[in-house]
Amino acid sequence: MGIAWFLVGWKWLHLRTGDGRYGDAARLWARIFGINFAVGVVTGIPMEFQFGTNWAAFSQYAGGVIGQTLAMEGMFAFFLESAFIGALVWGEKRLGPKSHFVAALAVAVGSWTSGYFILVTNAFMQYPIGHSFAADGSLRIQSLSAFLLSPWALIQFGHNQVAALVTGSFAIASVGAFYVLRDATSEQGRLFLKWGAAAGLLASLLAAFPTGDAQAKMVARHQPAALAAMEGRFESGPMAEITLIGQPDVRRRTLDNPIRVPGALSFLAFGTFHRDVPGLGAFPQDAWPTNIELLYYSFHVMAGLGTIFIGLMALANLQRIRGRLESSTALLWALMLAFPFPFIANTAGWMTSELGRQPWLVYGLLRTSEGYSKAVGSGETLFTLIGFTGLYFLVGLLYLFLAGREVMQGASHD
Amino acid sequence: MTELWFLILYLMIAFFAVLEGWDFGAGALHYIVARNQEERRVLIAAIGPLWSWHEVWLVGTGGVLFVAFPRVLSTAFPAYYLALYLVLWTIILRGISLEFRGHISHALWRSFWDVVFSASNVTLAILFGVAIGNVIRGMPLAPDTPLSLPLFTDFGVRGKVGLLDWYTLSVAVFTLVCLSAHGASYLTMKTEGEIHRRSRELAKWLWLSAFLLLILVSLETFYVRPQLLTGMSDRLLAWGGVALVGGGLISIFTSWRSGAERGTFLGGCLLIAGLLGAAAASVYPVMLHSTIAPEYSVTALNGSSDASSLRAAAYWWPVAFALALVYFSFIGRHYRGRVQLSKDTQRPY
Repeated sequence: MGIAWFLVGWKWLHLRTGDGRYGDAARLWARIFGINFAVGVVTGIPMEFQFGTNWAAFSQYAGGVIGQTLAMEGMFAFFLESAFIGALVWGEKRLGPKSHFVAALAVAVGSWTSGYFILVTNAFMQYPIGHSFAADGSLRIQSLSAFLLSPWALIQFGHNQVAALVTGSFAIASVGAFYVLRDATSEQGRLFLKWGAAAGLLASLLAAFPTGDAQAKMVARHQPAALAAMEGRFESGPMAEITLIGQPDVRRRTLDNPIRVPGALSFLAFGTFHRDVPGLGAFPQDAWPTNIELLYYSFHVMAGLGTIFIGLMALANLQRIRGRLESSTALLWALMLAFPFPFIANTAGWMTSELGRQPWLVYGLLRTSEGYSKAVGSGETLFTLIGFTGLYFLVGLLYLFLAGREVMQGASHD
Repeated sequence: MTELWFLILYLMIAFFAVLEGWDFGAGALHYIVARNQEERRVLIAAIGPLWSWHEVWLVGTGGVLFVAFPRVLSTAFPAYYLALYLVLWTIILRGISLEFRGHISHALWRSFWDVVFSASNVTLAILFGVAIGNVIRGMPLAPDTPLSLPLFTDFGVRGKVGLLDWYTLSVAVFTLVCLSAHGASYLTMKTEGEIHRRSRELAKWLWLSAFLLLILVSLETFYVRPQLLTGMSDRLLAWGGVALVGGGLISIFTSWRSGAERGTFLGGCLLIAGLLGAAAASVYPVMLHSTIAPEYSVTALNGSSDASSLRAAAYWWPVAFALALVYFSFIGRHYRGRVQLSKDTQRPY
């Protein structure tokens, strides 16, 4: 989703200026995008089917509501993306420049639409809205617009999409840094560095504020136990502090070796330093997230990396404006090696979101322990889990191999 | 409203079967019609640009099941757990074999993905055939016990049945032959030279075998689930489906003789859509047929979502469907005509 808009930008500039550098850049990244897309499509289909195979009770309970967005994702977004992806990756000669630009645009719009629908689905699980109950107790849609325009979904979409842009920007800046380190005169390298650093700084800032901030406020208001666990906070009270570093000990209900900023949590979550922020002790233990330590670390990994991203990209832009980026070897190395970290931050962010929702599958309505498929034995589940682990490991290796190979060969290769 | 959603579900499945059917069929014939690297590149370029658009109809089918008939989804999917995972894993392998094969121009790399590609297409055609066989045969649905089927038992169609038995396997063989025939018609239309000649010759024999197998499978069906025949007799739509099958068959064989390649191909599309239509119209409203007692079956009436959810989805679905066809016409225009390697081999194909 991040790279898609770079492709649109480069195809557009190529169309307007006829500058071959942009055409080359788009061609290289379209090939990498094609590999991503192939892996994304084939691993995305199982996700939809897993609702039925592994979460049958959940599907039957909530199908009337979340089925809407899952079906909409297929019908509106996937059709658009999949119709044009082939044309984008292999059809430049068949389509001609104008239609090829349209294909890039269609793929970008399609992938972001797909992101929206799947985030509405997740937002409903976090913060159910727009539903009512049918005669048999299952959920049905009450207001399609309230469901589709859920405030949680809008904020989560903003945060998730800028995180995707951060990921794309870091990948592009990383390849740029690699090309410049390999050959200081590389035109493609300079182009990727310029675009990657500029978009990377903007997106990293937007990920923190306003989107990350708004997301945290939503959690504070609607999932207070999750917020307490994310911060490793056991006692309630005003002037709530933010934990920079520390290790939660859930059994003794303490945070070991903490470094804290007093009042900051009260301020960030509610806008005033004196606001009382409940700790985990204020909630019954069966309402606590089930894995507090992992939740705590996920959140801190995400937030810590996000802060580092802002610093790294600010430095890169500063040096670029001073005309020294291409000669700052240490900074180029840092940019080159930084590309995996947005993936880690994204994963940690999703773990924060999903672990924080526990023990609920649909917050306040359906517990995770009630949502799984009763007909499927644990042996079968383990078998398929092992199978997926093996297959995804293989696909991941192939992905890295092929994408790395495209990067090595570079943009000039046709 | 439930009738409308049953019809929509049929449309989704029919589109998937017709469109992805020719991809599966062409892939299953990969080694038979394409004998060297150049020809295999042509074959893959013939299905490459739009396979993911075709596969999305399967995702759309899943979505429609989810929103309109969640009970069908939540009963059948866990029951066929391992079989579905087999389908998903094969879909993954097939997709990446199509996409990864062209990235490296090395004989070992390509022949590895060629094997994965043709094996996964054959497997998928068989698995989807088995799935249709299971829906028609029915499953031992009973109240209060979650349904779970073994992969196979004694291969009989009565009593304690499994995923595979002589009936579902024969439907699978028919599906494989029928889709291969469909794929051969498609390749005839899209290619030139040797691969064209082989496809054209194969199409004749495959369609002939499909026709004979269809008669056999129909007779088997009336033995396995006799209610279908009585359900069919007074349903106009079911006879409409049969008429499509007949029309398709006539079109296939007359066009083949006269060399009208598009006629053969369209005949195959009609035949597949008609077969599914006749089946859907005859089973309605039963979706998951209980072999234990008819009242335990999951039907479109007792398995559908609440009316408000169906109504909400009925507003946006036609818009999305129309848009999907618009994209297709935009892209399809550019890919009209036969595969030209000079235009279609910009890496990776």
